[in-house]
Amino acid sequence: MSNFVLQMRNVTKRFPGVIALKDVNLELCRGEILGICGENGAGKSTLMKVLSGSYAAGDYEGEIVLDGSPVRFTGVHDAQAHGIEMVYQEMNMMLDASVAENLFVGSLPGKNGWIDYKKLYADARTLLERAKLDLDPKMTVRPLNSGQMQLLSLMRAVSKNPGILVLDEPTTALTDQEVDTLMEILDSLRTKGVSCLYISHKLEELYRICDRALVLRDGQTINCHRIAEVEKQTLIEEMVGRKVENLYPKDEHGFGEEVLRVEHLSVPHPNIRGRNIVEDIGFSLRKGEILGIGGLVGAGRSESLGAIFGQYTMGVHKKIFIDGKEVNIRSPRDAIRHGIGFITEECKLNGIIWMLSIRENMSVANLPKLPGRFFIKKGKEKKVVQKQMTQLRIKAPSMETALVQLSGGNQQKVILGKWLMNEPRILLVDEPTKGIDVGTKADFYKIMSDLTKQGVSIVMVSSDMPELLSMSDRVLVLAGGKITAELHRDRGETTETAVMAAAIGE
Amino acid sequence: MNTLKNKENKRSLASIFFARTETGVLLPLVILLVIIGCVNSDFFAFTNLVDILRSSSYTFIIAAPLTLLMISGGMDLSIAASTALGCVVCAWGLADFHIGIFPSILLALAAGAVVGALKAALVVTFNLPAFIITLGLTKIVNSFILVTTDGIAVSNLGNESFKALGQGKAFGMVHWTIILAVVIGVSMHILLNRTKFGRAVAACGGNRETAKLAGINVVKTRYIVEIMVSVFAAFCGVCMCSRFNSGQPAAGAGTELTIMASVIIGGTSMMGGSGTILGSFLGCVLLAVINNGLVLMRVSTNWQNMIFGLILVISLFIDRYRRAKSGGGL
Repeated sequence: MSNFVLQMRNVTKRFPGVIALKDVNLELCRGEILGICGENGAGKSTLMKVLSGSYAAGDYEGEIVLDGSPVRFTGVHDAQAHGIEMVYQEMNMMLDASVAENLFVGSLPGKNGWIDYKKLYADARTLLERAKLDLDPKMTVRPLNSGQMQLLSLMRAVSKNPGILVLDEPTTALTDQEVDTLMEILDSLRTKGVSCLYISHKLEELYRICDRALVLRDGQTINCHRIAEVEKQTLIEEMVGRKVENLYPKDEHGFGEEVLRVEHLSVPHPNIRGRNIVEDIGFSLRKGEILGIGGLVGAGRSESLGAIFGQYTMGVHKKIFIDGKEVNIRSPRDAIRHGIGFITEECKLNGIIWMLSIRENMSVANLPKLPGRFFIKKGKEKKVVQKQMTQLRIKAPSMETALVQLSGGNQQKVILGKWLMNEPRILLVDEPTKGIDVGTKADFYKIMSDLTKQGVSIVMVSSDMPELLSMSDRVLVLAGGKITAELHRDRGETTETAVMAAAIGE
Repeated sequence: MNTLKNKENKRSLASIFFARTETGVLLPLVILLVIIGCVNSDFFAFTNLVDILRSSSYTFIIAAPLTLLMISGGMDLSIAASTALGCVVCAWGLADFHIGIFPSILLALAAGAVVGALKAALVVTFNLPAFIITLGLTKIVNSFILVTTDGIAVSNLGNESFKALGQGKAFGMVHWTIILAVVIGVSMHILLNRTKFGRAVAACGGNRETAKLAGINVVKTRYIVEIMVSVFAAFCGVCMCSRFNSGQPAAGAGTELTIMASVIIGGTSMMGGSGTILGSFLGCVLLAVINNGLVLMRVSTNWQNMIFGLILVISLFIDRYRRAKSGGGL
């Protein structure tokens, strides 16, 4: 009898032309939370697909051993029958079905094809309580925010009493309080003997919850540490395979005149009719400044940026001044004309056009500025795109590569390049490094610093606390529809506790 | 070592071949040409080839702008109704209003534009589902034609030179509609690939929100494409009016789905975002080859739709395989 609940031995997975996993070994003890970290493309998701049965036995080399006996999964169902449950990053919710039905989909209580609704709602209530979700099990899922949905999909997996729970970046959509809840749930599962694989980019979380951390790089197992005995810097170095000098290259320089002033900004709530998510706020931005906007998910930060940019106009009230003169921004077109760029949060949702090439994606926001009135001069277009690709160090076979084929980090760089081609004076940036790897993150911070040196001003919404604190010259905190704090870096006010306190409305 | 290199080379050749969107239609087309040619060598006679191109030209005049519409994320079932409307209105201009050839053609195109604008308003501005709306429009327009014509063809156009468009041949060799179809096809290709407008069309279909955030006037772009399709459909009706020398209330009836299928066989995505004019052209030719080839092979025309349907299904499989080969995602 082995004391490992799960062993993956010498797992190798080949795709045409690439080896995604090469001799990967993984061991998981009973009641242990094993963190798995690595850059994008390190092979984390592929490894999890092997484990979850998405790639059936025979599609890969190596073996999976559960409780000492080798198993061969024929598919996802088979893996689930063996007690392996996955919580994916993408929340697969039936938006118009009720919370309870979503929680128990596939295992609805009842007999002979009838659903026992009484039991269903009672069970759902218990689960919701455990997740500290104040929701009616009968309500539909559609109006919920992404954090609530993420917790629901976790509870859906938990309800099946798995032996091994696999979490893929579970906290990206969560607020800090929800992260706390998640950690509590995981902790209680651990004491019950449930083992867990925890994939995350966020080292803080690995330190908080995991017992050991496994580092993957380029499809290979690099190292496995007891988390208590390893330095953060070591983990980062192992993940990127090179020394990351300074994650946040922030250089001090003075600021110029005020370039942007927003007054009386009110934005309707996206899900709740008749309520404003942001009520009469205002702020200003100076030349070369990075203004961070902190707050919990759902505080209306993204909506505020969208409203300023003209993405949302229905029911929005705002006064916007550029260089002290009031301007009327009724559509993204107007915003672009005034030198504003907007890098949106959900790059897959509304940032990229995935079947088009890098070249087409980049020039799409710059059509009026490309030379020529009607026809596109391809030679000149290629030149400007090539310039951005080199500057941003976008890794792709050519500029004709479709965006689907790029990694998340490179996709994000393409979006950045698209807006930089316009030579904006003001950049609105929403969660710029969400879900991208450490190496690309460092690139991003370097680029942002360089831009401010050239006089570009940046408004950055970020839920990544270290990023928010170290990149911003000034931090505004949004909570309850108002700005609850304005913290200045040069006065030493930008601390984690100050932001948190303002965000939870202390 | 050498053999390995060769293998690599071969793979890259295959991937170049499969990287083309048009492969899904070209492959069945070539196979069909070989089979039909083997059974009946008359197939490759010049006049027969011209006949095939002639019948393709009518569908392609609509399929070319429709490709743009589908790339922009739209669809249109009302094309056949617009064709019938264009055909009848043009005949009215000549036979009833006696306004001459060009004003009659313009009147027919204007009728198409009205249908297109109405469709665009419902689909784009009111954001209603295109499938139902264009189905409804088809019924409305068809019924309007029947009510106004009593289902009887508008004849006695009384204008001999008008016949040249649909019946005449350029330099006595190929029909004018073929020349027009080529001109329209090349223009659409250039419009799609070389202009800012074409880029905006692809962006609208690829991801509407991204296009909007990139400052593209999505509403205007979609309006233009919607109206363009209806106008060209009406123009196809004008060509038919000339060919039949009368305004046929049933002109083009039932062709809407085959024309859309030709575009899809040509590799245009139903979801929008990607597609080529050349592919749609090959799709139209394929349809004409099936119809023509079966006659030459003395196969009952009842088989036509089955074979076309089979090829439609198979072409999607080829498309799937192609995307896997060329390494692209979905």
